Amino acid sequence: MTSTQAGGRPPLYRDVRVLKWAYQLLVFAIVAAIVAWLLGNFRRNTAASGIPTSFDFLSAPTSFTIPGADFSPNSPVRNAYVVGLLNTLRVSVVGIILATILGTVIGIGRLSSNWVVSRLSAAYVELFRNLPLLVLLTFIFLGVVLQFLPRIEVAWTPLDWLVFSNRGIGVPWYQEVSGWSLLLVLAIGIVGWWLIARWRKSVFEQTGRPSRAVLMGGGFLVVTVAVGWLVFGGSVTLPSVDGRRIAGGIRVDPSFFALVIALVIYTASHIAEIVRGSIQAVPKGQGEAASALALSGFQRMWNVILPQAMRIAIPPLGNQYLNLIKNSSLGAGFAYFDITNVTQITVGNGSPAVPAFFLALLFYVVISLVTSLFVNVANQRFRLVER
Amino acid sequence: MKVTKLMAALVALTLVFAACTAEDGDETTTSGATDTTGNGNGNGDGEGGSLLDEVQERGELNCGTRDAFPGFAVLTAEGDHVGFDSDFCRVIAAAVLGDAEAVNHVDLETTDRFTALQSRQIDVLVRNTTWTAGRDGTEGATFLTVNYYDGQGMMVNTGDFESINDMDGVVICVAAGTTTEGNAAAEAARLGLDWEVRPFPDTDQLQGAFLEGACDGWSSDTSQLTGFRSVYPDGPDALTILPEVFSKEPLAPAVLDGDIAWAQAVNWAILATIQAEEFGITSENVDDFLDSDDVNIRRFLGLEFEDDEGNLTTFDSALGLPLDFAYQVISQVGNYEEIFDRHLAPLGLERGVNALWSDGGLMYAPPYRP
Repeated sequence: MTSTQAGGRPPLYRDVRVLKWAYQLLVFAIVAAIVAWLLGNFRRNTAASGIPTSFDFLSAPTSFTIPGADFSPNSPVRNAYVVGLLNTLRVSVVGIILATILGTVIGIGRLSSNWVVSRLSAAYVELFRNLPLLVLLTFIFLGVVLQFLPRIEVAWTPLDWLVFSNRGIGVPWYQEVSGWSLLLVLAIGIVGWWLIARWRKSVFEQTGRPSRAVLMGGGFLVVTVAVGWLVFGGSVTLPSVDGRRIAGGIRVDPSFFALVIALVIYTASHIAEIVRGSIQAVPKGQGEAASALALSGFQRMWNVILPQAMRIAIPPLGNQYLNLIKNSSLGAGFAYFDITNVTQITVGNGSPAVPAFFLALLFYVVISLVTSLFVNVANQRFRLVER
Repeated sequence: MKVTKLMAALVALTLVFAACTAEDGDETTTSGATDTTGNGNGNGDGEGGSLLDEVQERGELNCGTRDAFPGFAVLTAEGDHVGFDSDFCRVIAAAVLGDAEAVNHVDLETTDRFTALQSRQIDVLVRNTTWTAGRDGTEGATFLTVNYYDGQGMMVNTGDFESINDMDGVVICVAAGTTTEGNAAAEAARLGLDWEVRPFPDTDQLQGAFLEGACDGWSSDTSQLTGFRSVYPDGPDALTILPEVFSKEPLAPAVLDGDIAWAQAVNWAILATIQAEEFGITSENVDDFLDSDDVNIRRFLGLEFEDDEGNLTTFDSALGLPLDFAYQVISQVGNYEEIFDRHLAPLGLERGVNALWSDGGLMYAPPYRP
């Protein structure tokens, strides 16, 4: 039996187009009803038990301090959130960069024809992939960072340029010069980069010599900024031990240090597997063709296989980046002032828990969505155009 | 054809189901809301809705503590909850239920404690919690009689510092999520000292950092410092608690706002321990007082006494507690002094301001009489 007679429209309740729409609307209505019910329930019950839900606390003074931040106990709570947000971003960005590098190296290592290298890489992956991150972080903080870095009284100061102690690692840092002059120098550098890139591209197109645009343009930017900053009277502050603390330079916090190490080691073990899988997903013929052209092992990997493998790797890598960002909240247990920690402290000092933690959730959702957006854009740009 | 039919049936079914859910939802919401209001407004005329009835019906007290404060509450290897706070949970259970062991000790982190109270996960919070105006107000908690007057102090490695005033340009580690960070920041500002305050949510991490020399000072409530000092890996003598106390930390049990009947019941359970000490009644000798002639004591223990007309009568405070609640508290848990001596004295804590008012302290129970 055929479903419709030729010519006549089926009745509405059997029209597939209508049914499709009706079904979608229905699902939407059900979800909306459930959400509305939950929200209403939440509102009624919080009101009935007097749980505060207003966000007025954001303008109240924090009454606590955050080391390393320009921040007094009278600053409003919202400033503390900003510091926490920046710290979460800081550890995430550093962690993502380092984890990607380490993970790629180990992922390639697993496929190495050198038996020792491939076994060691496999052992690394199997060990760190199977450890709970919190245990790893606790071990690195208490057992490695605090143990192996010397106490402040006997801090190690190589060349008087660096200070190593378990109260922080002091690194030379630039002395601030006026913002506008630096911006001007930066603009010159960027324009210069762009011009150089254009010039090198035309050279490449005409002669076929490698363009090296990034190397030369980037180099120009770095040199310009360095020179400009010296011209405008910038200088470097060197870290030193001042009594029981580190003064001058910039201080890398032991908790930041431990958190970055733990996140990088852990996430790299996952990234390594992604990289390995992606390399293996590149058709074998590509590598063989590269060998046939007498490319060296490095050239084969760097110019032929990795660019194709990375395309495949982008979506799962994005997942790992999201994991790393969310896992950075574990730093709250080790006196790292990320969003989670700031939220906990401000709740302990009188901010209402429900809205305070709601804000923290919101921050994580936004950071994750923005990261996903970047990953999707990258994926769109780099994916193979198939014809 | 068949497929379309099936789909239509499915849609119809979903519709019905959705209608059901919506109805159910409404019902649940309404009843939930009514319940809540009932609970919130229970006002002690015993007409249901008070947590007091609910706890007595349940036969168990949900008491919020923290199993990580030596002296106040720790979980032993045998699974017993031992400490000053744990014992006050037992005091409340003995008074309300007549059984000191009918307690469900709920282990709470600093940041969850008020939410646990607000969401009724616990009936009462006895967790080293400082009574402050803000908590009384915004957190919707009602604080009851203070059972320990504490103050924030500073612990350092023995020999490093003699006084807080010497501590300039130092790193201070504190327990996070409490009033300690705020107190430390305020004290540093008041003394004009430069302190870098690092908060650790977990004591294990804090102790680890302190042991490795990452902090110069360890600041917390003096009672807690004394507790941590007593179990310090390098021995208690390696640490010194500086003489300065720079905050008021009245530690008091808390219940949820709006349930006067429950608040009063818990309050009088705690006061009974203080009153018992004042009378000199202990868990050892409480039975000797059963034939006491003192009408105050007979009232307190729920015993019969002669009224003005010579009739035998008992005193019912109408607090909703059993007549013999004080007897149960004292016989099963003990008076304030016994609880203090059992858990806090071994740490080296003195009674100090926590002595009875008659000994110059702050512990004072209103009279138990009509």
